[in-house]
Amino acid sequence: MPENISERIPEQLSEKRLGGCTLGGAIAVTSFISDAVTVVHAPKGCAHQVFSMLHALVEEASLPLLPPLLSSDMSDREVIFGGEEALSLALDKAAAKNPALIITVSSCVTETIGDDSEKVCRAHPAADKIITLPTAGFLGGRAEDGENTALLALATLAEKCVPLPKTAAIIGEKNLETEVEENYAEVERLLSRLGISVTLRFCRNIQAAEIGKLGEASFFIIRDERVFPAGAAVAKRFDRPYVAEFPRGLSGCVTFLRDAGHCARIPEEGIERAVRDEEAYQKQMLEPFEEMRGSSVYLGAQLMEGTFDAAREAMERLGIREAPDGIPLKLPFYLPVGVSGMMKMLYLWRRRIRG
Amino acid sequence: MSCVENPLSPCAMTGACAVLSGFKGLAVVVHGSSGCYYYPKALLKTPLYSTFLLESEIVLGTVDRLKEVVSGLEKTGKPVAVVNTCVPALTGEDLSKAFAAVTLPSGTEASGAVFVDAPGYIGDAAAGAAAAYKALDIRINPEIRGVNIDGVLSLDLFARGNLHEAERLLSLMHIPAAVRFASDTYAHLMSGVAPFTVSVNPSWDAGVGTYLGSFLFPELKKTAEALEKQFPGAVFDVFYEELSRADEQMFYYADKYLRKYAPPRAAVTSGRGYCEFADKMLRRYFGSDAALQLPREEITDYTVICEKLQEYKPDLLLGSSFEAAAVREIPCAFVGMTHPDRSRISMSASAVSGIEGGISFMERCINALIDVKKGM
Repeated sequence: MPENISERIPEQLSEKRLGGCTLGGAIAVTSFISDAVTVVHAPKGCAHQVFSMLHALVEEASLPLLPPLLSSDMSDREVIFGGEEALSLALDKAAAKNPALIITVSSCVTETIGDDSEKVCRAHPAADKIITLPTAGFLGGRAEDGENTALLALATLAEKCVPLPKTAAIIGEKNLETEVEENYAEVERLLSRLGISVTLRFCRNIQAAEIGKLGEASFFIIRDERVFPAGAAVAKRFDRPYVAEFPRGLSGCVTFLRDAGHCARIPEEGIERAVRDEEAYQKQMLEPFEEMRGSSVYLGAQLMEGTFDAAREAMERLGIREAPDGIPLKLPFYLPVGVSGMMKMLYLWRRRIRG
Repeated sequence: MSCVENPLSPCAMTGACAVLSGFKGLAVVVHGSSGCYYYPKALLKTPLYSTFLLESEIVLGTVDRLKEVVSGLEKTGKPVAVVNTCVPALTGEDLSKAFAAVTLPSGTEASGAVFVDAPGYIGDAAAGAAAAYKALDIRINPEIRGVNIDGVLSLDLFARGNLHEAERLLSLMHIPAAVRFASDTYAHLMSGVAPFTVSVNPSWDAGVGTYLGSFLFPELKKTAEALEKQFPGAVFDVFYEELSRADEQMFYYADKYLRKYAPPRAAVTSGRGYCEFADKMLRRYFGSDAALQLPREEITDYTVICEKLQEYKPDLLLGSSFEAAAVREIPCAFVGMTHPDRSRISMSASAVSGIEGGISFMERCINALIDVKKGM
């Protein structure tokens, strides 16, 4: 039984209420392993919701089609008589595709009726390639809990080995955000200043066998606090340092360079050279927004923690004032990643200020 | 018992939300988790509320939480509709305690809220839409002169355009449009609906009133004849003239196409109503063979659909972006007929129904086909 909900502060309650469903979070990880099949033990509408969302995102990013999501298609019958047979049939169909991996996720319906998904998976002839995620839909927490559960379970497929110098593995990219490739490009841009290469995007457009590369990375880059529990646990298991998040805004790029440089044991002078180059680059990138200097603006609501800080830093660099009667500006829904993320925000601001 | 791969149909809860949120003035509450709520909210783009249930509330009972949300909405004076989702439906709570009772004219007390049990496991969006219409307890008022417009649902890409076109055609005929299912005000719906109904998309019909036919182009003449019988004072000359001109226009452009190219080999994946419409249109104007029809009512397994399309090798695909992705490797023109259509940004109110809808359909088909032929 969870703690007494009436004792929680409203903000926590609200955040918990709005956090989505574990299914979406878990499938957003597992669907990006191209030779795996995910079995969703749920009514087919649950699988449709996630499939539809992921399909939209891969279409937008011009990525290849995602591997299949198999729904056990729970109907009235399974709800009354139990859905274990339906799960077993879905596993048969998944196994017939001969995937490298079969990942099962459970829903709030299966949790409520008491199906033992784990027992079904253990008893299945393809048990050696099945990973069972006890997600339990919203009864198992929020979307981010599903992501963490999936990342942690999949990381067990990797063995510890000798790290390759100047390599990083990324953990927990937000596969459900539209700017995921743009954000990755920004991280890659910064890492290239330090001569660091990314050996694995865990899990983004990879094959199951590639998960083994997790142990080769000399350090990890965790996408953000959302997947920090999984990221930190993986880092601990492999005894490797980590950078805790993607670069937040402009100064975040400098912090990121220093953190990544230290994790990769780059000599201090190499890190400082990269920082100087980055500062010069940022100055150049901000030039098109100089016309906003002297403007007076009013920032709207902060939808993501940290957005105010990133926005105010850009305002300070560009000499933009904040005032209650200033031009109302919208803050982005996501925390802007690096210089490219900030520029997207500034283009919208400039349009507004130009009127 | 079945197993579906990448299922293409939304769940019952989404269908119920689509119907209820189509009636302005009715506050629609999804009684479920945020994970259930976000999908219909994003898809339908209509106002929706939710109880955003937590696990602890499932354990302790969800009535208090539902009551909290419903009473907050009732204070605004809006009638409330509650769409129940999987887990609270499974636990079998008596949720009626969450609603304030109202006294009916007969003197008996009843729940003041519309309650729809639409857990995902009862079926797809059509099952939820049917459950919502049933719960609305729609009454026919024989005194109302006019025709209801059915099949207008926000789950249809062309709902807004179809409605505009149906209203325009009824206006040409001097027949008043009565209630629009489901795109009207709740107050209008509750004041009673007309005895006669036409549909713009039979896949999403409420099925209320005597059905006089569909406004999809191939059925228009027959439907107009049925309307003439029921509305003797109505005016049909302008309508028939326009219908005839549209028919000629579509033959003209189809002929022009056929001078250069063979008739399209089409596949249609949409609701049954649109599948049949597309098939009839392509046969009439292009002389095409019967199209491969894969109605959503019969087939929602994406992998099976992909296999059928790859085997059939259409050169014109009418469907959603899901199917468009499946034929990416073959030269095939694509026209969006059902959700989702991500091939283009779509803001205007395009129609499939009515005269303009028919013309617009043919126009999109011919343009898409020519673009592929020209290698654009």
